[in-house]
Amino acid sequence: MELSNRETWAALHGMVFGALFLLAFGGGFAGLWSLRPEWITANGLKERMLRLKVGVTSMAVIAWITVITGTWIVYPWYRATPPQGTTDFTEYPRSLLLATPGKEEWHSFGMEWKEHIAWASPILATAVAFIVLYYGTQLITDKKLRFLTMGLFVGAFAAAGIAGLLGAFITKAAPVL
Amino acid sequence: MASVTVRRDDGKSTEDIKWAAGEIEIVERASGPAAAAFIGAGLGVFFLGLFTTLNEASTGLHDWLIFDEGVGPLSGKTTVAVVLWLVSWAVLAVPLWKRNLSYGSIIAATGVLIAAGFIGTFPKFFELFAE
Repeated sequence: MELSNRETWAALHGMVFGALFLLAFGGGFAGLWSLRPEWITANGLKERMLRLKVGVTSMAVIAWITVITGTWIVYPWYRATPPQGTTDFTEYPRSLLLATPGKEEWHSFGMEWKEHIAWASPILATAVAFIVLYYGTQLITDKKLRFLTMGLFVGAFAAAGIAGLLGAFITKAAPVL
Repeated sequence: MASVTVRRDDGKSTEDIKWAAGEIEIVERASGPAAAAFIGAGLGVFFLGLFTTLNEASTGLHDWLIFDEGVGPLSGKTTVAVVLWLVSWAVLAVPLWKRNLSYGSIIAATGVLIAAGFIGTFPKFFELFAE
C-alpha cells in the first residue's frame, strides 16, 4: 500500500488542505455567529475572539496553499499532453476524460469550473481574516459588519465547496496517477 | 453576575458556580477599511471571471496568459486576478481608510462584483465567447 509522488500531492491538495478548509468552515461560522454579548460573558467573548482570529487566519492561509498546490503542482499532471501515438491515457486524466464517451463533461464543465472558481475562495477568506483581525471586538456590537463578514465567509466556502466536490468526482472518473 | 446551580443525580449535594461578567473594551473603527476589503475582494473575484471569459474571447490574450507552459493560461488568469485584487484593495484603502460608508452600498457593490465574477468563471457562460 503506497502512494506515488503525484497521488501524494493530489491527496495533500484535496484531502488534507482542501478538506481542512471545508471542515473548519463550520467552526469559523459558528464563531462569528455566536459573537453576541447577550449570550456569553465578556471573558467568554475575549476567549472566543482570540480563537476566531487564529481560526480565520489559518483558514485563509490553508485556502491559499490549497489553490497554489492544486494549480501549480497537481494541475500540470492533469492537463499534460500525451506523446503522439499514445493509446493508454491512464496517466493523462484530461485526455482520458475527453477520449471516454460520456465523461467529456467532467473536463469541459467540471474541471473548467473548478480550476477557476476555486481561486475565489482564498481571496474572500483573506478579506474575512482581515476584517476579523482589524475590527476584532467591534464585530460583537457591529451586527451589520458581522453579518457582512459572515456573508463573505459563506462565499469563500461555496467556492471551495464547488471546487472540492467537482475535484472529488473528477478524481473518481480520472485520477492523477 | 450569573450563576449556575448543579444538582447531582443522587440529590445528595448541590454546588453553586458563580462567575463575573467581566469587562470588554471595544474600539469603534470607521467602516472604510472594511469597505476597501469587501469591495477589493469583490473586484478580485470579478477580475477572475473577467479574465476567464476574455481568455476564451481572444486568442492573443489566451497566449499572453500562458505564464507557465505546464499550467497553461490558468497561470496567467489567476496571477493577474490576484495582482489586480491586491492593487485594487490598496488603492481603495487609501481614500477610504478614515471614512464611514453605509453598509448598504458596500453590500451592493461587493455582491454585484462577486456574482459577476462567479458567472464569468461558469463554463456555460464563458464558452459563449469562445473564438
